[in-house]
Amino acid sequence: MTPLLRLRGLTKTVGSGRAARRVLDRVDLDLQPGELAAVVGPSGSGKSTLLQLAGGLDRADAGEVTIAGQRLDGCSDTALARLRARRLGFVFQAFHLVPELSGEENVRLAARFGPPGASRRVAALVDAMALRAVADALPAQLSGGEQQRFAVARALVNDPALVLADEPTGNLDASSGAIVLDLLSAAAAAGRGVLVVTHDAAVTARADRVLALQDGRLR
Amino acid sequence: MRRALQRLLGRRRQVLVAATLIAAAGLAVGVAGSVGYSLATGYDRAAQRSDQPDILARFAPRRRSELRARLDRLPNVERISYRLEVNRIGLGAGGRFSRRGAVHVVHPGRRGYAIVAGRDVRGDGAEALVERGVAREWDLQPGDRISVRQLGELRVAGIALSVDNVAFPLASVPRIYVSEAMIQRRFGADPDPDVNIALVWLADPARLDVTLAAARPAAFGLRTEQLLTGRGVRQAIDQAAGIVIALLAILALVACVCAGAMLAAAASAEVRRRAPVLGVQRALGATRRRTVGEQVLDALLVAVPAAAAGVAIGALAAAAPTAALLGYLNELAPGAALLWPLVAAFAALMAVVAAGAAWPAWRLGRRPIAALLRGGDLTARSCVRRGRRRGAGRDARGGLLALGAHFALARRARWLSCVCVLAVAAAAVLLVLAVADLLVSLRDDPGTLGRRYALTVPGEAADAAAVQRIPGVAAAAQRSTVDAADSFSLTEPLRVIAYPGDHVPFEAPPLASGRRLRTEREVEVGAGLADALGLRPGGQLAIQAASGRELRFRVAGIVRALENDGRVVYARTAPLLRDGPSLGGPIAVRLEPGAARGAVVRRLARAGFASRATGGATARNQAFLAVLATVLRNVALAIGLVCLAAVVQTLTLTARDRRRSLAVLRATGATPRALAAVLAGAAAALVVPALAAGVALQRLVLAPVVAGLAADYATLPLGVSAGDALAVGGGLTLVGVIAVLVVTRSALGEPIAAGLEHED
Repeated sequence: MTPLLRLRGLTKTVGSGRAARRVLDRVDLDLQPGELAAVVGPSGSGKSTLLQLAGGLDRADAGEVTIAGQRLDGCSDTALARLRARRLGFVFQAFHLVPELSGEENVRLAARFGPPGASRRVAALVDAMALRAVADALPAQLSGGEQQRFAVARALVNDPALVLADEPTGNLDASSGAIVLDLLSAAAAAGRGVLVVTHDAAVTARADRVLALQDGRLR
Repeated sequence: MRRALQRLLGRRRQVLVAATLIAAAGLAVGVAGSVGYSLATGYDRAAQRSDQPDILARFAPRRRSELRARLDRLPNVERISYRLEVNRIGLGAGGRFSRRGAVHVVHPGRRGYAIVAGRDVRGDGAEALVERGVAREWDLQPGDRISVRQLGELRVAGIALSVDNVAFPLASVPRIYVSEAMIQRRFGADPDPDVNIALVWLADPARLDVTLAAARPAAFGLRTEQLLTGRGVRQAIDQAAGIVIALLAILALVACVCAGAMLAAAASAEVRRRAPVLGVQRALGATRRRTVGEQVLDALLVAVPAAAAGVAIGALAAAAPTAALLGYLNELAPGAALLWPLVAAFAALMAVVAAGAAWPAWRLGRRPIAALLRGGDLTARSCVRRGRRRGAGRDARGGLLALGAHFALARRARWLSCVCVLAVAAAAVLLVLAVADLLVSLRDDPGTLGRRYALTVPGEAADAAAVQRIPGVAAAAQRSTVDAADSFSLTEPLRVIAYPGDHVPFEAPPLASGRRLRTEREVEVGAGLADALGLRPGGQLAIQAASGRELRFRVAGIVRALENDGRVVYARTAPLLRDGPSLGGPIAVRLEPGAARGAVVRRLARAGFASRATGGATARNQAFLAVLATVLRNVALAIGLVCLAAVVQTLTLTARDRRRSLAVLRATGATPRALAAVLAGAAAALVVPALAAGVALQRLVLAPVVAGLAADYATLPLGVSAGDALAVGGGLTLVGVIAVLVVTRSALGEPIAAGLEHED
């Protein structure tokens, strides 16, 4: 079976000179459709960097990233943008909603970049996440859990094959975290690949596979 | 200082943006300052260097001893020099030729001209001085040869500058100077040669009117053909381009204010951006005064080299066209004297930068340290929240452009300062275009001067009836002009424009007050002259004619006339005819409505009248207008650069503030084009209101103020035409597009992951 996400020999060094530190050292990873994998590791171990390289948000020093059979190295900015719009969904620890737009508008904004018809899913997703009552509220007026649910809706609105989540429950209380985790599990159950970077034991407990990042290597 | 340099090196990119902006402002100030200062002081400089006499009197040729005997009796005279002016002499050099040349035979004594290249003429050789305008047009250098009818080939000893008129070819007569000694040697010695010009230097120039009163022909016993004072000369030169020069000087002022406002906004934005750093410094125990001092030092370290380079480049760019313009006016470029005004402009820029950095830093210092650590700009953020509630839903549906506009509007103070800068710049460029339109009108359209006659025909007053009988001619009358002076203030020259009957069918400058003249005892007075003499409708005007006879009129009305800087008097011919047998002057021909000018010209020609189309007010010389256009273009270019820098700066700051939002957009799949659309929305939020405000500013403020300052004696049509508004709108759009491309490229250069780490 062709993996949805394939990382080979991924290497990344941060800093320069004496401060240079190799955070990822020839990392290999395969993620299958329908799989929810969790990456754990101490702070500063390179978990977020791994996620960013996997999603094409940053460039690796060496190695390959392949998403749904398409290699990212050598892609133009426009091609990468199209890939992110149609194949990838991101969920961030700090939610990263655009502060000028309401929750629903944030979801609609992502749909604008996605495939034709994505906008029609916005209302259904907002309803499915039980966010209709606060759909018109601005991020500053929403709780952390509500913001993160909007962020998950934004990640799913373009029906991506792969969802990358960076500490999705890190800023949430336990009940809100559980709701978000349910949503990610549902996404995996729907056949999407979900790669989650986390410290949260609740997440690792629900993951199909848990990988530890230590000294730049995945174990 | 070392720590300040380290701080700057730590944020090279921001420093580069700030330096570019300051350099652009310096450029604008350099161009505007050098143009304004050069034009404002060019005449005085040339007058001083050329030792301009206080009075230049022309007489019919007579023996020098006779003239000297009379002139020596005048009071308040320090020194007198004499010349013989011989006109209509053929001059030629380098394939150029003129039959209208003037040769000035210069007698010993003070010269009244400056040598700008080579040396003065001596008595021992066949040589001449060439006027600077002639040298430029005919490409003559000292050592070249010039052919002079009756004198043969003369060696060009030097180039002379005299400010008694505008330069050739603006003045139609090319002029050279030869020494009296050479003429005596060539044509035989004459111990008492003829002269026809006296240059008079006064012991006390402030008492000029005393000398002029004594020089009245009645008391003096000698009739002058022309009596020019320094003031009169200046007016004659101003007639060529006075309005345009005044407008350019004012434009330069506007450009300086524009650059200053932009710099203050930039310095303020930079300090606000660094609010968290100020918070850290305060948290570590730095005093408010110290943090302000550091901000000012940082700002000045960037501004000093950038502004110095900008001012220097601007001054250099403006030097050549300004010098050419001054050359046409027989004025002198300031040279090294320009250094001090530029240093003053540079110091003013530095003061603006220092104030722009100190004021917001001082204000931020009053805020709680915790607030500074969160970003500090509390006022702006609270504005943002109110804005979100009001319009978020509607604007988001409006698309990426609306989102970009939201980003720009989130920082109200910055948005407002940039819109203000762009609006002032747009208004200034609209003013430049209006000036250019006015220039063309003054050149081509007699209607601009209130003239209603389309043709003139050389002839006698008696020919008017014959001309009027020609089909297509509505009215014809002789138009006479007489140069005179006010009897009570002989230093105030004026021009009398006289018609045998009603002048309104031929020219009718708008009435400012009073009414049109009805009898030959009445006159209409131009506002320029009325202001100078304190005249009002119902008052008395006493005119000193060249013959020395005094004419008194009642002032019926004050008119807004452009001609002769508004120092004109409209009168009937009859009272002036008593002063002499004939006034002369062409016949003014007004056409019937709908009559084709060409057809009337042909009919006039068949009847034996050679007609000329009526021109405008100022110079008809194409080269001169081209130089003016170049200067205007330089000013407009400097303003355009200011606009570009302002938009790039604001978009860069917006993109920097909204790094995370832009990174989120990119992470969710926004293409470079979508990112550009967001930034285009931000640019549109600046450009569109700026254009509207600029048009309003130009129409309601700049045009009336500038027109009033440049020519308060007339009504200058400096409004905004649709074409000009479209041109400025197009220019601002282009500036916006360039800024969007630059900033989009810069934003795309940053990894998305790096942007996500930032606070919005």
